[in-house]
Amino acid sequence: MNDKQTTRRRFLVAALTFSGVASGSLGISFLRSSAAWAAATDDADNLAVMGRLAQLLFPHDGLADSVYGEVIGEVLATTAADPATDGLLAVAEEALDAAQDQAWIDLPESEQLEAMIALQNEAFFAGIRETVRFHLYYHPGLWQHIGYPGSSKEHGGYKFRGFDDIDWLPETE
Amino acid sequence: MSKQYELDDSSVVVVIGSGAGGGTLANELAQKGIDVICLEAGSRLTLADVVNDPPTMDAKMGWHDKRIGNMVWVCKTVGGTTMRWSGVTPRIQEHEFRALSTYGQLDDSTALIDWPLTLDELLPYYEKAEDKMGVSGTGNIPPSAETNNYKVMAAGAKRVGYKKVSSARMAINPVARAGRPGCQQIGFCHTGCAIGAKWSTLYTEIPAAELTGHFELRANTMAVRINHNKKGKATGVVYADADGTLHEQKARAVAVAGNVVETSRILLNSSSSRFPGGLANSSDQVGRNYMRHMFSAALAVMPKPVNFHRGARQTGVIYDEQYHKPERGFAGGYDIEAISADPWNTSAWVGGWGPDNSVFPQNYTHVAGVFSTGEDPPQASNRITLHPTERDTHGLPVPVIEYRDHANSIAMRNHSVEMSRRIFESLGATDFWGGDAPVGCHNMGVARMSANPDDGVTNRWGQTHDIDNLFISDGSTFSTSGAANPTLTIVALAIRQADHIAERMTQKTL
Repeated sequence: MNDKQTTRRRFLVAALTFSGVASGSLGISFLRSSAAWAAATDDADNLAVMGRLAQLLFPHDGLADSVYGEVIGEVLATTAADPATDGLLAVAEEALDAAQDQAWIDLPESEQLEAMIALQNEAFFAGIRETVRFHLYYHPGLWQHIGYPGSSKEHGGYKFRGFDDIDWLPETE
Repeated sequence: MSKQYELDDSSVVVVIGSGAGGGTLANELAQKGIDVICLEAGSRLTLADVVNDPPTMDAKMGWHDKRIGNMVWVCKTVGGTTMRWSGVTPRIQEHEFRALSTYGQLDDSTALIDWPLTLDELLPYYEKAEDKMGVSGTGNIPPSAETNNYKVMAAGAKRVGYKKVSSARMAINPVARAGRPGCQQIGFCHTGCAIGAKWSTLYTEIPAAELTGHFELRANTMAVRINHNKKGKATGVVYADADGTLHEQKARAVAVAGNVVETSRILLNSSSSRFPGGLANSSDQVGRNYMRHMFSAALAVMPKPVNFHRGARQTGVIYDEQYHKPERGFAGGYDIEAISADPWNTSAWVGGWGPDNSVFPQNYTHVAGVFSTGEDPPQASNRITLHPTERDTHGLPVPVIEYRDHANSIAMRNHSVEMSRRIFESLGATDFWGGDAPVGCHNMGVARMSANPDDGVTNRWGQTHDIDNLFISDGSTFSTSGAANPTLTIVALAIRQADHIAERMTQKTL
């Protein structure tokens, strides 16, 4: 794990705490060994499940599937590296499948959403939701899609680049 | 130039913490020729270390030591949380200093008191603090430039009938002043100002103190305990250096400014046979009455572009709701402040998942935002304690933070969300979210000033009731929270406290 990944993981842990997900709220029974999950993630089907889950968690029309795919790659690296979240995705997949008695990935969208709603109050669900949220909304591909340019100091900020250019408001005088 | 003091030099004042309270107090004392050592747990960054990336900056300057319970969003770095704050600097109002007299005791679980000082007494120090920090719209400093997000808030405010809306009272230079540049509207104020336009003690108070020859900063030192003698006077501070080796720095007086969690922890962790409940805790009030303001946040998708990421993160305030108007269904008041968020924050504030959430980041360029901060009645049960068995890497007991909203705060939050909705919908917002924003960046109480020593930990100077050479110098001394963002008041109180300490030294009573 490089420096950037390390700093991002620490920030994520803070984010999870912020959202009430971390700090021991994840039951140990949800957790599995990282080795088991690392083996499972070699499976393309698992990646497809997680990519679909990310899409339904935070849908963005027109956002390339590849962005969700890269986000899931980062989510896997993050969760496997942290004992607090290791194994969450395997648990999620199993729970999603169990919710409808068949492979969740093969269900129509409405039933996929039903399964997610049924599980949304589980601690592992919140753990995945916040991990995906973090990696998706710090992903440059997502930023490009929504028109967020990120760092501005190297461009001299917005003092001469439209910080006050709004022109559609009613007169306030 | 920076001094170096010996560990056994008992003539120095030791200040724990280098943020708004500690950094200011240390510099004010040094300017008067008083020798000061400032212990700071974090490291010393430079402006070149500041990048526009929140996760990277959180790793560089956030406080990540183990804590249990409610999150507190503070910094471990030279400059403390002045590196992260957004620079909004309203004053506490006159009636808010008399919270109990004004509101009455709200219920059995509330512990309202009046401050043992008045606005009139603090006014000259507010003016000094505003001059020191370069608060926009005060003295001859122009108001802050109006960002797109501010303009949306101001236009909506006018439509709902608000009158007191201003882009002034920001401790961010609108134009170059006091060796610091004017704001370039970079954004990312909360991850450290990359050019130093926003006031932070890192590049104001600390280097100014070093120039006096009466000041030594010891960064990367974690204060773990305050020692005292048989007479019950503080005699020194034990700290761990970067290698974990413990040292004791002798002291003439000690001032604690570690933000509420660390301030509570060091007092409670310094228990002795003489002070079994911790230092300055004969009242059992240390760690209690922890306040963090009523907070709400609101985001709206506007009909046309706003681009609220462009420019300073916060740029102005609506003051119309700051008054005590009990007919609204709650005591005290709140301020509504323009605020922006990055895409992650935008999604995280809204919370949950699905299209109800992603509609906000999806329409990021059209999103506008406000947040409200208001009076938070003190409750003895909102407190910081030490875990009985868990220890951190320094071997210190892990702090446990317990905080629950007061019913008054919930009623106020509902009101603030409704008003935020009206502001944005008056301009045709297509989607709105408003609700709780439990960020834990305004931290007050835990060693509050009180006229009666049974009701609090410190007197009107921030001097502890029990130990007369032990001072508290951060937001911990707030008797009540008021509505205003706390930093300006912390700085004003620190300047005032420095005058008091110097006077006592001249009188040879310290």
